[in-house]
Amino acid sequence: MQVVNKICQHSFAGFYKALCYLLLLLLPQQALFASESQSNTAAMWENIEMRGTQQSVYFHAWGGDQQINNYIQWVAKQVKQQYDIDLHHVKLTDTSEAVSRVLAEKSASNHRNGQVDLVWINGANFASMAKHKLLALDWAGKLPNFALTNPENNPAMTRDFGVPTEGMEAPWGQAALTFYYDSLKVEQPPQTLAELLSWTKQHPGRFTYPKPPEFLGMSFLKYALIILNEDQPDNIKNKLYQAATAESEAQILPALWAFLDELHPNLWRQGHHFVSNGLALRRLSGDGELQVSFTFSAAEIPSAIARYDLPDSTRSYRMLDGSLSNIHFVAIPYNSPHLDSAKLVANFLLSPEAQAKKQQTSVWGDSSVLDLSQLTPTQLAYFDTTEKKHLSANIINVDNTRLLSELHPSWSAVITTQWLARYGVQ
Amino acid sequence: MIVANTFFTRVVRTSPTVMIALLVVPVLGGLLGVLLPAFGWFPALGATEFGLFGFTELFATPGIERMLLLSYSTSLVSTLLAFLITILILASYFNSPWLKRIQRLLGPILVIPHAAAAIAIGFLIAPSGFLSRLFSPWLSGWETPPDWLFPHDPYGLSIILGLALKELPFLLLIALGVLAQPEIGKVLKQQHKVASSLGYCPMTGFFKVILPSLYGYMRLPILAVLAYSSASVEIPLILGPNTPPTLAVAIMQWFSDVDLSLRIKASSGAIVQILVTLSLLLTWWGIELLVKKCSASWLTNGAREHGGMIIKRFTDVITFIMVSTIALALLGMVFWSFAGFWSYPNLLPDQFMTMHWQSALTQMQTPLFNTLLIAFSSTLLAIVLTLLALESEQQSNKTISAVSGLIIYLPLLIPSIAFLFGLVWMFEQVNSQHTYLNVVFTHLLFVLPYVFLSLANSYRRLDPRFSSVAASLGASPSKIFWQLKLPLLISPILIASALGLAISFSQYLPTLLAGAGRINTITTEAVTLANGASRRTSAVYALMQMLLPALFFILAWLTPKIFSRARV
Repeated sequence: MQVVNKICQHSFAGFYKALCYLLLLLLPQQALFASESQSNTAAMWENIEMRGTQQSVYFHAWGGDQQINNYIQWVAKQVKQQYDIDLHHVKLTDTSEAVSRVLAEKSASNHRNGQVDLVWINGANFASMAKHKLLALDWAGKLPNFALTNPENNPAMTRDFGVPTEGMEAPWGQAALTFYYDSLKVEQPPQTLAELLSWTKQHPGRFTYPKPPEFLGMSFLKYALIILNEDQPDNIKNKLYQAATAESEAQILPALWAFLDELHPNLWRQGHHFVSNGLALRRLSGDGELQVSFTFSAAEIPSAIARYDLPDSTRSYRMLDGSLSNIHFVAIPYNSPHLDSAKLVANFLLSPEAQAKKQQTSVWGDSSVLDLSQLTPTQLAYFDTTEKKHLSANIINVDNTRLLSELHPSWSAVITTQWLARYGVQ
Repeated sequence: MIVANTFFTRVVRTSPTVMIALLVVPVLGGLLGVLLPAFGWFPALGATEFGLFGFTELFATPGIERMLLLSYSTSLVSTLLAFLITILILASYFNSPWLKRIQRLLGPILVIPHAAAAIAIGFLIAPSGFLSRLFSPWLSGWETPPDWLFPHDPYGLSIILGLALKELPFLLLIALGVLAQPEIGKVLKQQHKVASSLGYCPMTGFFKVILPSLYGYMRLPILAVLAYSSASVEIPLILGPNTPPTLAVAIMQWFSDVDLSLRIKASSGAIVQILVTLSLLLTWWGIELLVKKCSASWLTNGAREHGGMIIKRFTDVITFIMVSTIALALLGMVFWSFAGFWSYPNLLPDQFMTMHWQSALTQMQTPLFNTLLIAFSSTLLAIVLTLLALESEQQSNKTISAVSGLIIYLPLLIPSIAFLFGLVWMFEQVNSQHTYLNVVFTHLLFVLPYVFLSLANSYRRLDPRFSSVAASLGASPSKIFWQLKLPLLISPILIASALGLAISFSQYLPTLLAGAGRINTITTEAVTLANGASRRTSAVYALMQMLLPALFFILAWLTPKIFSRARV
């Protein structure tokens, strides 16, 4: 049934329509088959639950944020209670460390006893692991809680930066590019990319972005790239969502370089030095060196204010011309010795309880990936919280701006190489 | 001396071999693990043909000349600077009580891990740092932080400052250690007195009489400092530029890049890093020759006075600037660790609070336990191996050969970034799953040389007549070792242990790589946090990094005193 729906939705050509009808004729058998396979899935899951208990799971996840680390500790407590699983958070400074590790294991023919059981991943790291066949295949769709994301109507849940996930990773959360500023120092923050450029000219040295290939810096460049190519014809714009070619690079990138050439002289340190990550941006904002800055996890702003890392007068907003948004996932390496336990953890991460907890501003504030229409009233109750929020937790423009999708991952490498060639040596 | 053949003497006899093997096998194996990919052999990526494409790619990297130049210049200049200031301090305060005071002031800096020192200096010289706040707005007129050069300046001046401040106490302590040896120090001091009586001003006397002899003893430590600084990662990462960074930092980034094919380029980079280090050592040697040649006539020209007072004043100023830089950096860090919001340009935080310490301390338990466990294991191993090796030296009646002596320095002279990645690959090959053991083993590579250097002098200096008398009274070698030598040497052993612990505490790259990232220590957490997060939390971690080794040094220093007092 689900298969039929999906094909109908995505097909335009008459041939496929005909095929859909044909399939509809077969529906009774299909439905029968589906229910049988459902009970199969349930039995399979029971097996996984049986095999997966009482083991250790090494969860490799970026560890630079205390709030996220605390949330993972909470998850560890829960899975310990439910499945007697010992979840160890391996704190990475960069997710690529885990990618290199699994690759090193593969090169040493360690195909069964890998050190990584679960990894927090998306985008280029995922594309790289998938390309080198470093991930366990076809498991995410079989997690009981995966259905709650309503993947049929929510294609983003099965695509990572445009690349089909093919069951190699389960969605965990989603984020959108959010800007912030000190409302005591900046009266009118720039609300579009063009305004940002003119604002930096009036306030030189008070804005910067992390050096690519860092994730957040790359996201800023992608946001700029999308906006700058807005007026191009559709057939050219769409190339942003396909693998980059020499031709599409020549059509799309010049606008970005022209923009950056104009922007850089008025960046912090005149664009001679770029910070290494988004947290450094936050620190410089706290120091007053930067006045407008941005992040992918909007919830870090109120919590940074609570820890005195940002001034109390900080406010957050989304750009009016669009906000880059993406989903982040968890994946299991092909050589994890605790495959079943890792699946149990991934399923718990997708549970309404865990997702609701994660969404609370005081916990992490990362948006849930669940489709609330799929939840039962008891499950929905988890999401009812009456938190007292700091003013900065109310993101300005959140309802009147659109979300921009991530580009095809091949663009990251292209942008990085050319950026480094142009601005990497100064 | 004829030695009985007992279990103890057999263990003692094999110990030097074990020690050398423990140092050589991992280093050479690690180098092999980098050499193969450097020349194109990396089966996991399907690269199984030898070739030079890794090097071609490396030299096609934009800004590669700048990276090389930056690595070369920062380490050379910082080592020169540290060496010159060491000499100036020694010359100006030789035979003065100030020497002891300066040593006491700088000594603690030695045990501060590089990452913590870099964090502290960064806090000081940043546009919104302590220094800028001291002069704002009353002098500078800055109401918002200026957009100035430091840290991360493209010339590497911040790196030089950081490295020089870290190297200086080490060189000074080495020099004072040499002077403290009776057979060298006494002779040199007497010669200095003779020079004074011949009318040489103390400063000139130092340069003409003491320095030429003293330098010989300092050469190897200086070369180790030079080699270390050319390939160190923490200080350039935290204080250095990134358009482009130093070669070592770039190599580390390539090794951990998403694009796995960069591994080949990174391995080639590691080989080039070794060449950079080698060329630095050669440069130093060249400078040595040049100075020797140019100063030969000056040494013997008989002039008694060369502006000694001016040099003395100059040294006073330099020493004052240095000590206050360190004091301000530390003070700034203590402030940050207790700060509420701290708006610019206020000199003091807007509020003080203990919240950051509280939350950090509750999260610190596991890393703290790991740090201590690893440090104690590797130090214990190092102490046992060193004592046995030194004992075997005395039993066989000859000092370790020149080659073995150099091998002990091997992990200090070969840039660790060059062999650590290969070492991890080797652990993979032997399928060593015991991450704790891997880390302890890797730490041993760095702990052992320092422990050996620190203990060797005291052990060799121990009056041999004690052992002879004991042996003639019928004591077995093991009894002499346990009941005579160890109690006599308790003080240096404790100091060497504290040094070993401090070295282990400070290891970043070895812990990260050998531990597969699974093992968090205070240092790995501090570097992770330093690159982002909050100044407040990283100040707490950096202070913890300083407190730990300091605590053990104080213990090592106090314990023998308490015991000896108890005996009296």
